[in-house]
Amino acid sequence: MAEKKKSIWKFGTREVVFAAIGAALYAVLAYATNMLQLPGAGNVAIRPAVVIPMFFGIAFGPIVGLITGLVGNVLSDLLSGWGFWFWWSLGNGLMGLIPGLISASIVDYGEMKSILMGELFVILGVIGGMGIASLSEMWVSGADMNTVLFANFIPASVSNIINGLILLPILMVAYAAITKRSGR
Amino acid sequence: MLISWRYKHRNSIMDRIDPRSRWIFSFAFLLSATMVWSANFLFPFFLIAVVWYAFGKTRWKETRRGWMLVGFMLFSMIVLNTIITGGGAGGVVPPGGYVLWPDGFVIPIINWHIYFGLTVERIWFALCQLMRLGGVSLIFVLIPYTMDPRAYGATFRGLGLPDKIAYTMELAFRFIPTLARDLSVTLDAQKARGYELEKVKGGLFKKIARIAPLLVPVTMNAIIASEDVANAMDLRCFGQAKRTWIFELNYQPWDYALNAFSALMMIGTLVAVYGFNVGGFWVPDWFMQLFL
Repeated sequence: MAEKKKSIWKFGTREVVFAAIGAALYAVLAYATNMLQLPGAGNVAIRPAVVIPMFFGIAFGPIVGLITGLVGNVLSDLLSGWGFWFWWSLGNGLMGLIPGLISASIVDYGEMKSILMGELFVILGVIGGMGIASLSEMWVSGADMNTVLFANFIPASVSNIINGLILLPILMVAYAAITKRSGR
Repeated sequence: MLISWRYKHRNSIMDRIDPRSRWIFSFAFLLSATMVWSANFLFPFFLIAVVWYAFGKTRWKETRRGWMLVGFMLFSMIVLNTIITGGGAGGVVPPGGYVLWPDGFVIPIINWHIYFGLTVERIWFALCQLMRLGGVSLIFVLIPYTMDPRAYGATFRGLGLPDKIAYTMELAFRFIPTLARDLSVTLDAQKARGYELEKVKGGLFKKIARIAPLLVPVTMNAIIASEDVANAMDLRCFGQAKRTWIFELNYQPWDYALNAFSALMMIGTLVAVYGFNVGGFWVPDWFMQLFL
């Protein structure tokens, strides 16, 4: 019997739960690690938790990644009392959605090829997500391209890419061990 | 680690407004305010936002954290970019304008001659930015403090989001205390083994990698637990029929009035901007006269 092709856009019960857990996890971890500041970059916090939407996207698909990032950022802002900034939450969602596009092509999460592909899509995801969020400041604040680039896009992107590149392989290898052990 | 929501029932006017109407108003305000740069529009919008904020009956002590973030954003967007570098005014303020100090000025004592091309138009634009960003911030900073987290799922379902998405939000809210407890237990267990999250030694990369002993067990445990939750939901036929919500929402007459006001504000601004071509940036004469 031919194997049924894995659809990356499926959103069934498992995806609902993974997206909810991912969002809650992202919010809690972002809240818990808010105290780590990026040296010499104003008020930009090192947010290691950004790896959660990226990893959930890769492991469970782009919709799970999108909701994990979007809802997780909304929840984290609500917990911290920072208000509701939809365009930055959408940017966080895209950081989960774009890496999620390769979810169907990954068979072994511990394989070097899968990890490298994940890392590449993390970079693309951050550029896409933070790009949209930063550009939206032109619309909301009336800032010009230079401002958006140097005050928003570069500090946020560099910090998120570094976090993603360091922590994603660790989570992928750990998840590979779990899937092998539990036969999932 | 103690994680708690910022929401508190304050018996305020805001507590009596349906959360759906509040979201409709908030997004209508955002879209209306971001369509214009004219102070004729931005000033009334700012006043509406101040009144809206007052409805929440929040105290400075509670909202200070949110305002610190907004303050940083306003400082970088208005003071640094519009006033000092002129970057924030790009694309909206026409080039040229009335320069305040055409020959520059000298800083006393140190005798430094500084050429600073600040124009009256840029100062007015900074005020417009303050009204626009300040108004949007007043509306959105209020949300965590005045909106009941239990209402989010039912609210977004009521606003037309699919059941599954609304349910995901509801579930995420409910998982937060459990995951916060798991994180706290894991942190204590790792600390007992000599783990130091707050250790200041080491560069940026070491700092990030130091998160792994905390991140990996919490994430993997959450994923394993998710499988059990998904199985339980499948056994109860999740997603087979339309959902009902414990938190019931009912529109009151004032909610309909607020919805009508939101629609009027947005449609009025749209017509003014695209139909009558008003709402663009301009400097009033009385403001120019102050500097001439």
